[in-house]
Amino acid sequence: MNKEETITKLKEIIKPYINNVEAFENLTEATDFIVDLNINSANLIDIMLDLEDAFVIDIENQDMEKMLDVKAALEIIEIKLANK
Amino acid sequence: MIGNDIVDLALALKESNWKRKGYLAKIFTKLEQLLIIKSENPDNMVWNLWSRKEAAYKIFNRNTEVKIYNPIQFKCYDTYKSIGKVMNNGVVYYTKTEINLDYIHTVSVLNITDFESIKLLNRTNEIIKIEGIPYLKVANNKEMNPISISNHGRFEKIVSLF
Repeated sequence: MNKEETITKLKEIIKPYINNVEAFENLTEATDFIVDLNINSANLIDIMLDLEDAFVIDIENQDMEKMLDVKAALEIIEIKLANK
Repeated sequence: MIGNDIVDLALALKESNWKRKGYLAKIFTKLEQLLIIKSENPDNMVWNLWSRKEAAYKIFNRNTEVKIYNPIQFKCYDTYKSIGKVMNNGVVYYTKTEINLDYIHTVSVLNITDFESIKLLNRTNEIIKIEGIPYLKVANNKEMNPISISNHGRFEKIVSLF
């Protein structure tokens, strides 16, 4: 899976939880899930669980700690996929 | 230093399904999960504990300027007492939680005596943000008072120390 495909899949997963459509449409690696997309912090857990299912990976607590923006999420997913 | 967090219970019911597999284990310690499972009102206990963690995290974030997402590391204690505790990395955050049919609201402080000087504000007070962190402009004074703003669904709470 290349980066473009990973981003597309990530966007599909976060879409149901966003509260700022404009920021979502202009999503970049710097986009912050809570600050920019106004995702409720409790829904970040849903995103983690959805990512685990979609990519068939396990996201540990120490991974989750950093996953506050698109860049960090992509990095963790890439590392997890590479280690499968 | 002060932090607060409010949960609109009707919105939480709509937005979050904490019963989905794996959800509780990502947020709550074993002890906290037990409190939820054994509770007469598990929905309320989920958001009760969550609001304590969030209120404490707001102080942590303000003090350290570190952004981190690790709710499980903010551990709730003394949840049955009028003043509870949240512990993170050896730091104790004291909490007071108000529960009613519509919302759950937790205020957190570092110094337990600060509970005596909490003031609820509203949008008519002059609030400014510096690097995303809100302050209250005190009239006739150049000083700025740190405040904590929390909103969810139908509710907003703004708290400060005086």
